[in-house]
Amino acid sequence: MNMAARVLAIAASAALLLPACGFTSNPAQSSSPNIVADIIVTSTPVYRPLAALRGQERFPQGAQLLLIHAGKAEPLVPGFAASADANISFDASTMLFSGKQNAGDPWQIWEITLASHSLRRVIAGATDAIRPLYLPAGRLVYAQRTAQGFQLDIAGKESTWLSAPIDAQAGTTTLALSYLPASAIPADVLLDGRILFESGFPLGSGSTPEMFLMYSDGSGVESYRCDHGQARWGGTQLASGDVVFTHGPTLARFASPLAHEAPVAAPHAEYAGAIAETASGAWLVSAKSGAGTHYSLASWKPGSAALQPVLSKSGNDLVEPVLIASRTRPKRHPSALHDWNYANMLVLDARQSRAGDLKATPAAVQLETMDTKGHGVAMGTAPVEADGSFFVKVPADQPIRFALLDQKGAVMRQEHGWFWIRRGEQRICVGCHTGPERASENRVPAVLLRTTTPFDLSGASVAGSAQQATPRGN
Amino acid sequence: MKLRGTCQLNRNHLRTIVVAGLTAAATVLCGLALWPAFNPPARADEDDAVLPRQIDYDSPLEVLISPDGARLYVLCQQSETVRVFNAITNAPIKTIAVGRVPRGIALSYSGDRLFVTNTWDDTLSVIDTRTLSVIATWNVGAEPSGVVEDRAGDRLFVANRISSDVAVLDAHTGMEQKRLLAGRGASYLTLSPDGSRIYCTHVYPNPSDHRTAPESEISVIDTKRAVVVDRIPLHAIAGAFHLAFSADGRLGAVAEYHPKNLVPLAHLEHGGAFAYTLTLIGTDVGKPVEVPLDELERYASQPFGVAFAPDKSRIYVTIGGSECVIAIDVTRLLHFIAAHPRPVSGSFAQDLAASSNYVIARIPVGHNPRGLGFSRDGRKLFVANRLEDTISVIDTRTNRVANTIPLAEPNAISVMRYGEQTFYSARHSFQGQISCSSCHIDSTFDGLTWDLEPDGFGRDVVDNKMLEGVKGIGPYKWNGGNPDLPTECGPRTEKYFWRSEQYDDLTLADLTLYIRNMRTRPNRWKLAGREMTPAQERGKALFERAQDKFGKPIAEVNRCSYCHSGPKGTNRLLFDVGTRKATDNGSLLKSAPLTEIALTAPYLHDGSARTLEEIWTVYNPEDKHGRTNDLTKDELNDLIEYLRTR
Repeated sequence: MNMAARVLAIAASAALLLPACGFTSNPAQSSSPNIVADIIVTSTPVYRPLAALRGQERFPQGAQLLLIHAGKAEPLVPGFAASADANISFDASTMLFSGKQNAGDPWQIWEITLASHSLRRVIAGATDAIRPLYLPAGRLVYAQRTAQGFQLDIAGKESTWLSAPIDAQAGTTTLALSYLPASAIPADVLLDGRILFESGFPLGSGSTPEMFLMYSDGSGVESYRCDHGQARWGGTQLASGDVVFTHGPTLARFASPLAHEAPVAAPHAEYAGAIAETASGAWLVSAKSGAGTHYSLASWKPGSAALQPVLSKSGNDLVEPVLIASRTRPKRHPSALHDWNYANMLVLDARQSRAGDLKATPAAVQLETMDTKGHGVAMGTAPVEADGSFFVKVPADQPIRFALLDQKGAVMRQEHGWFWIRRGEQRICVGCHTGPERASENRVPAVLLRTTTPFDLSGASVAGSAQQATPRGN
Repeated sequence: MKLRGTCQLNRNHLRTIVVAGLTAAATVLCGLALWPAFNPPARADEDDAVLPRQIDYDSPLEVLISPDGARLYVLCQQSETVRVFNAITNAPIKTIAVGRVPRGIALSYSGDRLFVTNTWDDTLSVIDTRTLSVIATWNVGAEPSGVVEDRAGDRLFVANRISSDVAVLDAHTGMEQKRLLAGRGASYLTLSPDGSRIYCTHVYPNPSDHRTAPESEISVIDTKRAVVVDRIPLHAIAGAFHLAFSADGRLGAVAEYHPKNLVPLAHLEHGGAFAYTLTLIGTDVGKPVEVPLDELERYASQPFGVAFAPDKSRIYVTIGGSECVIAIDVTRLLHFIAAHPRPVSGSFAQDLAASSNYVIARIPVGHNPRGLGFSRDGRKLFVANRLEDTISVIDTRTNRVANTIPLAEPNAISVMRYGEQTFYSARHSFQGQISCSSCHIDSTFDGLTWDLEPDGFGRDVVDNKMLEGVKGIGPYKWNGGNPDLPTECGPRTEKYFWRSEQYDDLTLADLTLYIRNMRTRPNRWKLAGREMTPAQERGKALFERAQDKFGKPIAEVNRCSYCHSGPKGTNRLLFDVGTRKATDNGSLLKSAPLTEIALTAPYLHDGSARTLEEIWTVYNPEDKHGRTNDLTKDELNDLIEYLRTR
């Protein structure tokens, strides 16, 4: 039995003994017959859920976290000028939130113990830090305002103890995860360890809210699904693994077997963003009957015909509910990034695309990155093999995109958005925007039969070009 | 009032009992927490670590229902028994001892005889189903696996995994009549519903060119003539298991692995390492067509058993690594195939959304589900949970487990069993795609070469190796980069294979204990005692020679017996034997162990030698891999004959 297991066993012993002695430290007890666990919800006079994707304020008239216990709501952090974005730790002992201690402060990341309500600031800075989410092993992910809008950062030194609390020094060990010329806001941490985040589609250039994924080291960024269209946001993963989100005013879901979203047959209402799933399988939702009304809190059992009211507050929207209840800890992602300042990318068949496979094989692929003024910087071209494969070395931690060129150098197809590859990442793509449903074919890519050295498009060998393309700064 | 007082009294008593119980539990937990301080466990990287006390498990592998539906026969591999149950009440009837490590089981058409193949003593047990006793034990081929009898009761067909063939036996005497060449690792046999054909699948891919997609086949045997009449190609498949037919014979399905070993293993999402599929055959689909069982974020890791509902409405597939049974709606499946343009390859394996069209349920069962079979009315489906010693009984109307039959009294799970469960479970890998057993089929190997990511895309392509006898041959990896098994199976595996949070240190210790203590199967080329055939004797002399045929001394380091010394044929040191390819990062390679080398083609670190002979005739032009260029073809054959005994 290792040390962590021993500590766990001793803690379990203590947990068994404490109730027997007449003490309890469980903050989730509720006397309400209708609500199993206590709830925390954000109350705000005006809710603009997608404003952060434009770098704007979601709560222009302030916001306040409310603790709903036994059907009664009270401010959770009454001394704060503003508070929002509650996220409960996996053992339900603490909660992260974004808050402003004073009205003139930027949003900062705080943590509160749910038993004693003791507070500590986790992330402080001169710019807004919002939407904190717990990660395994004592880390958190959040969005930090930068010159390029909100970007995802991770904080905390990864502990070998997967249930470790966030260290007091977490704010000094931050790492940028996203590198976009647009805002990205975390939405949830999936059970497989990936971070679900919201941004505009096309990524880095578009304005339609969409959901994307990355690993907790910032690698592997991709669309969750590629049936892009209407705005999708406020994604929350259920215990089943499905992700429920707001689609326009309604709810929809992603399910593992499907490459496209599926509707949720919820009662007619306007829904706002994230939901919370109760132990019984009911959902806590923020819903309103239409324009001119406010979002109130309701519960809905999937399959039932009506919403059951939980709480409303005159003149306020009640949004982003969370339950004070323990939950399954997501898996930790073991980062396999190499100690490089560049990245490698192998595309197995650039002809394949969700937009329709190309009939002709491209002759070359062109890489473009973006300078700090938002201007595209051409990084050069690399050959594409007859089977559609190419292997390139690319600049890391900055926006990049590809275009496929024919023999005459004309663009056959190009990315409309941007993405990034992390330093030391070696990434394989099945095609060019093939969608997550397209699996790889089992064959050696022709480019690897010719050479195992990636074609250098990193700019390292072209004077000036790489230097013009600088990574984002916070 | 009295009642209330009684309740109060009971509550007080209850509280006392609860406090006492909790205190006791806490004491035990504290004791457990402190126990290792005084009783440190054996370190898993110590090759001489003491194996914990063994617990006898049944390890049910296959199930059969008697033709009258009254009996359930369960083939138990570890206890080497057939356990007989009442299929209605689940009550045990009898336990019948069979041979060593049984694998295949079949009933005669009349149901009066039960045949069991015993893989480690190369025998077939014949059981009288009236007396439930073994009435004959016949010697058969090397590692007999699948078995079927023809409808007439004249012939038995037995698939032999090691010799990759199907033996045809006289069903009355067990006398072998002929052998039919099948795929490599021939293992599972299925009789067509009309009895006219036998279909044989195999678990290792057939030999193919280096770094090309694996090729497998379904060998089709004419039952009456006992000849192979067709070989249905299974392109890109490496590992095919049970095949089943609908009762009308119009649709067949085989469970299989579709590896991605030619693509660098950089991540698992989007089917990065495997697709798990069925290939459908028969008049309902025309040309064979491959359909995936996976989803976008949830894989069907390691399908094994296949069964059609009697009314052909459903196909059920056991998914060993995912610990579930998948239910497929046949009408929807056929509609999907008809409604979608069929890829030129005949495979929908690249479409991870395809299964949403026909998979209707994933039913959680026990650890490592394998064989399955229907009750006569089709309402119950029995599933053998090999590493849980239970039979799940699925209600096919609800597609839920309605009952679980324990094969033995619940007992403690041993370290070895826990390690084996970890070896076979895909739960530790990203989205449940792979486990150790995805590439080490039945704890062996897969006959494939893989391109792992950390060495660079397309670089250091490596041949997958046999695990039996792995104890005491560290360092591991072809370049000797991992000093011990906990390193080999620990953080490196988490980072570059599972791509997800894996097991804790205790589980890793259990896993490595299981791997280190895998039993090595009997060597079929060895004679009893220390006897050798003349060819083996001549080969041994060549293996140990110190002079070449011209009388020139062979440097010690260039003798076979120097690098391949010791009981497992390796001195565990690194050498440059001239086999480095342009895509290899280094030339120093660990001398490979010779354990069961006859079974584990291809050879060399990158699998470029298809046969043992090619090691010397193609890849040893400068005699750096031992002095062999002075040897004749016959002498090389002698050398091979000797190596096969290792």
